Amino acid sequence: MRPADLVREALLSVTRFPGRSMLTALGTVLGAAAFVSTLGLVSTLGQQVSASFDVRRATEVLVQPQDQGADTGWQSEKSLQRLRELNGVRAAGPRVLLDERPTTRAIGVPVQGVRLMGVDPPALRVIGPALAEGRLFTEYDERNALRIVLLPRSVADQLGVTRTQAAVFIDNEAYTVAGIFDDVTRRPEALTAALVPFRTAGKLTSANPKRDVIIETAPGAAQQIAHQAPLALKPEAAEALRSIAPPDPKTLRREIEDNVTRSSLMVSLVTLVIGTVSIGNAATASIATRTAEIGLRRAVGGRPAHVFAQLLAETTVLGALGGAVGAFLGVCVTSAVSLWNGWTPVIDLRLALVASAVCAAAGLVAGLVPAARATRIQPVAALQR
Amino acid sequence: MLELIAASRTYDDGHPVHALKPTTLAIGNGEYVTITGPSGSGKSTLLNLLGLLDSPTNGGYRVSGDETAGMSAGHLGSLRGRLFGFVFQAFHLLPGRTALENVELGMLYGPHRRAERRARALRAIEKIGLAHRAHADPRTLSGGERQRIAIARAIAGTPRVLFCDEPTGNLDSANTATVLRLLRELNAEGLTVVVITHDPEVAVAGTRTLTVVDGHVEEA
Ligand SMILES: Nc1ncnc2c1ncn2[C@@H]1O[C@H](COP(=O)(O)OP(=O)(O)OP(=O)(O)O)[C@@H](O)[C@H]1O
Ligand SMILES: [Mg+2]
Repeated sequence: MRPADLVREALLSVTRFPGRSMLTALGTVLGAAAFVSTLGLVSTLGQQVSASFDVRRATEVLVQPQDQGADTGWQSEKSLQRLRELNGVRAAGPRVLLDERPTTRAIGVPVQGVRLMGVDPPALRVIGPALAEGRLFTEYDERNALRIVLLPRSVADQLGVTRTQAAVFIDNEAYTVAGIFDDVTRRPEALTAALVPFRTAGKLTSANPKRDVIIETAPGAAQQIAHQAPLALKPEAAEALRSIAPPDPKTLRREIEDNVTRSSLMVSLVTLVIGTVSIGNAATASIATRTAEIGLRRAVGGRPAHVFAQLLAETTVLGALGGAVGAFLGVCVTSAVSLWNGWTPVIDLRLALVASAVCAAAGLVAGLVPAARATRIQPVAALQR
Repeated sequence: MLELIAASRTYDDGHPVHALKPTTLAIGNGEYVTITGPSGSGKSTLLNLLGLLDSPTNGGYRVSGDETAGMSAGHLGSLRGRLFGFVFQAFHLLPGRTALENVELGMLYGPHRRAERRARALRAIEKIGLAHRAHADPRTLSGGERQRIAIARAIAGTPRVLFCDEPTGNLDSANTATVLRLLRELNAEGLTVVVITHDPEVAVAGTRTLTVVDGHVEEA
């Protein structure tokens, strides 16, 4: 008997009852589909992350004290000056975040709770509000701690403020609206707060003001500045400050990919084991209904080795077909999800080949026990009904 | 050509059943042997020994002068495939394969390549008069047609001996007559035929009749 005959026989057996075969191979179909689609989506997403990674966020560093209650000397002009002199710092300024204050457009109009954020002009430059109207703070406003305020569009709408130069009352004190902005380049929390000059905020009392320094760096300098900033701001006790820099996009991407790849492989592996067991079970069960066929094959000259090889070939073909169908499904899923999200699908066809090969191997392993069992069928017993 | 030498067969699951008592028997080339006897007397046991589907518990069996005791299952298998053809009461055609493919299966483990197997299968199907049904699914064939396809499967590889265990057991008298005519033709062409039957009409068709009673084989 030639190998080609063996494969043809196996294909005949497997394809004559496609429904039953597909059910048997369902585990490998799912395993291969999971394998190909998750890995496909990982590389698609990876591509996407690096394509659309926010370069602006990658040039931002935040410095916080370990203990908010402690001294505020590190926010002084002298400290900030040292920081601004560092190579790679584009702008740096202090902030103070106060808790919600009762805010209203006029006495008698409903009051909203709005958080206050005190920023000096360089800090404001780091935040980069996109002004719809009005102006930003100036050094003059800052020096004189003027009662002026910048409102994000959403807060202005809530308060019913429609134009600049209008007054709003914060804690019953009147402030002039200097500008209204639609968006920010950094620090999205500014989109839900009222921005006032740093010194103006410093004069207000607050239960627990949160202080920090925000820095815009040159591209690629964020990690290094994050390292140097605490020392520049507080040379005598740099460890009292903590820098937060965005992760390096390349590292981030690799981490995400590694994580997802690992869990995807786990899921695929588990499904594959289930697939192997289900093929093995189905093959073992089908032996009982196929004793006559096996007896006949023995009667017409089939050796036990032929029976063994045939059943092994069947489960292998079944695994390979299941793997191929699953890989195809996986490619479809990857493409569909990518299309849906407007991404460019990244599909490595080698994955599909690997999936089919691994599933074929699973089928081979699954067939060992039932095939060995089938060789024990005696032709006589099988043929007398 | 086929020689049983004091061969016996005892089934032993729990308590022993002496299905075939020690039997010495020779069947020559070109004979047409019918085997009759009551149910459970040991006819199939005898046929299975002769066809190498089973081995004697004691005694010997020579095929063309070669002792078969001690041969491996694989060796017995190829000997069986080369020299013998089998027809059973239940036709044992595989569903989901055409009549032609079922006939080809009879030669799968033999020496012929695929094209040759196909050519021989077509010839065999023509011989049994079902060429027009070659591509039918066996489930759509009548009982008589199925048994003729089974005979085609048994003879397509040109065996030397054809063993039939109740080949007409599931057939009406018209189909029985067709099958008998076929067997006679095949025998006339030189094929050795060994047939088990309950049917007196079939029993008289042969040139030699063996009667099995309670595991004893007697010439009639
Ligand atoms: N595999 C087996 N295990 C145990 N006993 C068996 C086995 N096969 C046959 N026998 C017993 O051996 C005896 C002979 O059986 P055999 O099948 O040869 O009879 P038979 O003459 O072919 O009967 P029938 O005409 O009903 O087919 C019977 O008593 C039967 O029960
Ligand atoms: Mg019988």
